[in-house]
Amino acid sequence: MEKLTLKRTGRSLLLKYVGEITLEITGDLKHRLDTELTDAAVRAVVVDLSGVSFMDSSGIGFLVSANTRMRSSGRSFYLYQLSPAVEKTLGLVQLLGFFAILKDECALAAVCG
Amino acid sequence: MASETRARGQIVIQKIFRAISHPGDSRRLARAVVDYLSALLSDTDVLQDLDLILTEGCANVCRHAYAGEPGDLEVRLGVEPGQWVELEIVDWGKGFGPDVTFRNPGPEAEGGRGLYLMCRLSDSCRVSRQGQENVVFIHKDIGPTQWKS
Repeated sequence: MEKLTLKRTGRSLLLKYVGEITLEITGDLKHRLDTELTDAAVRAVVVDLSGVSFMDSSGIGFLVSANTRMRSSGRSFYLYQLSPAVEKTLGLVQLLGFFAILKDECALAAVCG
Repeated sequence: MASETRARGQIVIQKIFRAISHPGDSRRLARAVVDYLSALLSDTDVLQDLDLILTEGCANVCRHAYAGEPGDLEVRLGVEPGQWVELEIVDWGKGFGPDVTFRNPGPEAEGGRGLYLMCRLSDSCRVSRQGQENVVFIHKDIGPTQWKS
């Protein structure tokens, strides 16, 4: 998955994927994230969606699942830099207010700094 | 496979696209239909709506029709230029059953949003069993300024 970047900063994990998030890729994304989250030291996950050109309901399911897993274990989950395609898809299913979204680099630095 | 028929004095374009319901092939099938439509439609938002509708429909076949195994998948496209696009997403698997829903599930649900999205982005959406075929039918009206001249 050369389009996937995982970056650890302190106790935070920044996940960035560039391309389409569809049924074809969500299983691999979930597996890679699960592997990282076996380390209990990871207290926050940020998903950078700026490079996502298309996302379907499989991608929504991936984000909801990751959000639930993190929050149910007392950890934090954020979205960052939603691309227009992601913003539209999440808006259609009324989930823009459901996720915690980091508004800018300052907010990102507060989590990953 | 493409043909043109006349209805209500207009030219209706009909074309059939086929693939096997593997996730990658299904996505490529959706893209192939959108690429074909991009020669007719100028509005990128409408093309993106149709892309999402098709991708959801084809992904539903991948997930549910053949118990996760590959099977036949077909998209039947109808176009009345300047007026509308119709899609039939067809499989020969187990069908939707009585619990099919077009509602948006709760925010913490990890799945079940495919048909809801397809309905949100279209003017008419219905599922049916026709003989051995399971059909998701979509009709989307598209304004006259959103077509290529």
